[in-house]
Formats: sequence, structure tokens, C-alpha cells
Amino acid sequence: MIDPTTLLTIVLMALATYLTRIGGYLWLRNATLGPRAAAVLEATPGCVLISVIAPHFVSDRPADLAALAITLVAATRLSLLPTVLIGIVAAAGLRHLLG
Amino acid sequence: MTTLDPCTPADALVRRRREVVRGLADALPVMLGFVPFALLLGAQAAQKGFHLAEVPLMTGLNFGGGSEFAAVGLWSSPPHVLLIVAVALLVNCRHLLMGAVLAPYLRDLPRRRTLPALFLMCDESWALGLADAQRRASFSLPYYMGASLGLYATWVAFTALGAGLGPVMGDVTVYGFDMAFPAVFLVLLRGMWKGARAARPWLVSLLVAGATYLFVPGAWYVAAGALSGLVAAWFWAEDASR
Repeated sequence: MIDPTTLLTIVLMALATYLTRIGGYLWLRNATLGPRAAAVLEATPGCVLISVIAPHFVSDRPADLAALAITLVAATRLSLLPTVLIGIVAAAGLRHLLG
Repeated sequence: MTTLDPCTPADALVRRRREVVRGLADALPVMLGFVPFALLLGAQAAQKGFHLAEVPLMTGLNFGGGSEFAAVGLWSSPPHVLLIVAVALLVNCRHLLMGAVLAPYLRDLPRRRTLPALFLMCDESWALGLADAQRRASFSLPYYMGASLGLYATWVAFTALGAGLGPVMGDVTVYGFDMAFPAVFLVLLRGMWKGARAARPWLVSLLVAGATYLFVPGAWYVAAGALSGLVAAWFWAEDASR
């Protein structure tokens, strides 16, 4: 079962993504990007991703903030699976302890 | 004497097949790395109310992990169509640069082959194809396709499997499972890390998005955070070139 709004969202999202895949090949092949444009393009994915998770950083639950800090440290040195496991265990444990 | 001709059609086919297998073999470790990401994405999507068929539909048509995690994180019922499309565009805009870098290697190939091949371009298949092209001084489309199709099949199959397993896990927030979402994003960001200087716009995004989330209702925090980070990147870039 597929919801029509979901289908529309998925198709438009996929179209946007495909445009980014062929856009550089079709339109940017002979262009030289200035250092500013290149810097903005380079920073974009990180800026978007961190904005999406920003609500976690301004949580009003101390347990969640502490768990997020632990997860952040884990992410700087471990691969995906251990980081996720540490995040989950930290969140569950700290919520149990601190409420 | 056709049997001595080094380029008979049969030979070309064998060589092409060998290139596909070589690409697939080189992609194998990355395919294994995709599995936990894919399972998590599928499970999170299922918990956000995606039906089982909608998950491989999204991952099969879009095939971009970062934008899919973002879409699932921002998903509501009904979804904010424009927000999700705009975020996909922004998260994936790095493809523009990647395509431009790859373009000289694709010069001799017709568009009816490059345009479908680019549908499968992700960070990893791009890197594999480009590294191989630089090593051998020519781009091998069958090598790239072997690597790309292996990655694509892994991603779609395991996101679907994750969606099937997700509902079995029940309400994830009770046991801290919701922390998996920022954890994945932090690992993705670590992969993009190019030093503290380059990451200053991220901090701007985080601060503005966090403040917007607290004080402005709705999902404006994503746009506000992303745009302010980009403006910061614009100004700091000029700074660095002096």
C-alpha cells in the first residue's frame, strides 16, 4: 500500500537528487567555480545534516543532553555500529537514572 | 583470421564481464559497510509510518543515504513535500561537484549510457570509479557499473529488510533507540570532517537551527540553520583566500 502524498514526496525527492547527479556533468563540466562558490557547496551537506539534528542539542532533558555528548565523543573515534549502540545504551541508561 | 583478432565481440564481452566483477569485488567492503546504515534507515522509516513497499521505493528511486535519513527524520503525516525535496537537494548538492570532476573521464561515452550510469553515482561508487580511472588513465564504465550496482542492490535490499524488522522493535524512544538517529548523523558528519576551520559554518548552522527550533514553531529550523551556515561559509571563504 502506497500513500499518494508519500509517493509524490518520494518521486520529487528522487528527481531533485537525480538532478544533482547529472547537473555537474551536464552544466558544470566547463565551468570553473570560484573559491567562495566551492566553499559554500562543500559546506552545504554538513550544514543541512547538523540543522536536522539540532533539536537534539537543545533538548530540555539533562539525560538526553548527556547521552548526546557521549554519542558525539563516540562518533569522533568509532564506526557506525558501536557509535549507535553506545548512543542507545547511554540514552536508555541516563534516562533511567536521571529521569 | 578472426581468431587472432584481439578484439572479437566475444573477447570484448569477456573483458567487460571481467571489469564488472572487478568493480563488484572492490565495492564489497563498502557494501558490508552499507548494511548497518541501511537496516537502521529502514527501521526508522517504518517507525515513522512508512509502509513496507514505500521504503525500497524511496531508497531505490533516490539512492542517497544522507537525504533519506534527513527525509525520515523530518517525516510527518502528511509529509512536508517541499521541505523534504529542498533538504534532498541541499544534502545532495555535493553531487554537482562530483559530476563535474567525473565529466572529463566520460567525454568519449554517449549520454544514453552516462545519464543512466550517473543515476547510480554515490560518494563511494564515484570514489572507486575515479580512483580506478586515475590509476589506469582511462575510465572503465563496466568497472564503475559493477561497483555501483553492488552498492545499489545492497542499499535497497537492506533498507527493505530494515523496514520489515523495524515494527518488531516496537516504540524505540522507550529504550533510547531514538538516539540512533543523531548518532548516524554524527558519524556521517565525521566522514565529511575537513578540520575545525572548514567546520565553522556547521557550528553556525547548529546554533541558528537550535534557536529557531526553540522559538519558531514548525520545521523552519532546517532552512534557517542551513542557510545561515551557507552565508557563514560564503564570508569565511573570502577570509581564507586573502
